[in-house]
Amino acid sequence: MRTYRWIFVIIALIAGIGMGLAYGWIIDPADFFDLTPDTLRADYKADYVLMTAEAYRAEQDPALAARRLAIFGAQSPSSIAAQGLTYAREHGFADSDIVLMQELVTALQAWSGIP
Amino acid sequence: MRRIPWGILLALLAGLGLGLVYAWMISPVRVIDTEPDILRADFKDQYRSAIAAAYAATGNLPRAQARLALLGDANPADALNAQAQQMLASGESFQQADQVAALALALSENGDAIPTGTSVVEPVTEIANNDDASPTSTFPPPPPDVPIALTETPQTLEPEPTQPVIVESTPRPTRTPIPTFGAPFKVTGQDTVCDTNLPDGLLQVLVYNKNRKQVAGIEIIVTWDGGGEKFFTGFKPEIGNGYADFIMTPNVTYSVQLARGSDIVSGLTTPTCQASNGETFFGGIKLTFQQP
Repeated sequence: MRTYRWIFVIIALIAGIGMGLAYGWIIDPADFFDLTPDTLRADYKADYVLMTAEAYRAEQDPALAARRLAIFGAQSPSSIAAQGLTYAREHGFADSDIVLMQELVTALQAWSGIP
Repeated sequence: MRRIPWGILLALLAGLGLGLVYAWMISPVRVIDTEPDILRADFKDQYRSAIAAAYAATGNLPRAQARLALLGDANPADALNAQAQQMLASGESFQQADQVAALALALSENGDAIPTGTSVVEPVTEIANNDDASPTSTFPPPPPDVPIALTETPQTLEPEPTQPVIVESTPRPTRTPIPTFGAPFKVTGQDTVCDTNLPDGLLQVLVYNKNRKQVAGIEIIVTWDGGGEKFFTGFKPEIGNGYADFIMTPNVTYSVQLARGSDIVSGLTTPTCQASNGETFFGGIKLTFQQP
């Protein structure tokens, strides 16, 4: 009888954990604000790369462009720009915008020594 | 009467607590595919700087407005002005602060109009578990080569079986010439200020745009025989975004103009004022510039 009761206690514990997880992950997850740019949706990231490329066209300063892209975290600026370019190509950005982004990618690769 | 199963209830509550601690603190859900309006404030500032730099390069105001709208600022021009002041005060590159101020100025001149139809889809914040990030598909913004059309009709995208969504086209701006900073500023006021509470020889400068809004980040050049100095509006926001001041030395003649282009006010000297008790003291001058 005593063993039987412990089984119920363990089952209740597991059920409680399950309910807690469900509540904390699904019903009322932790509030999110003050997020970092690496959480942005891909289209916003691509648009940010485009902004950087537009500015780069006028400024011709790869170091400044790299600093702008550094907000996306640990990836290299050239790979961030390349991801933006890939997105732009796949989603029908204007040719003029793609040219700008391509210029940025090339410049950043040269600047960072990537062949 | 049956006994209350306290042991089971306690186990259930303990499990609930453990589950919540794990779900909220140890391994909270990871947010992906967010929108720029929930970025941390410093990242929003960088986002605004990038928008301003892109605007400075392309002069594409509708595109800049659409991008600023993503940040969810109540008044984008005010946010940009405040940021420009902050950048100047913290010693950041003048060029970048100037780009931010220039975009604020352009917005003010256009009445802060945010293009309608900017919102691409309802904000989607997808939440995925740490180990299982599997975002569902969302519609990307329309391609950037769609020309601006003020009378656009809603465009219906091919709906997915379980996700019929009607999306209004984002106005995608076309390239426009790089803007000038507008017409040169005119001097609309030059007053002698006799106030014993103010420092002697205080030259006060107020700069307004054509909408009578004060403008921060405007470079002012003051020159005198054998010297010159530059200062900027916006360092004393408690007085006004478009306010700047400079202390004149008595018996020196100054000329003042705005670096962005303005009338030149010359022959400025520290005026002599008389206090109510008959004593004389050095007063100041207040100059007002406005864009016509």
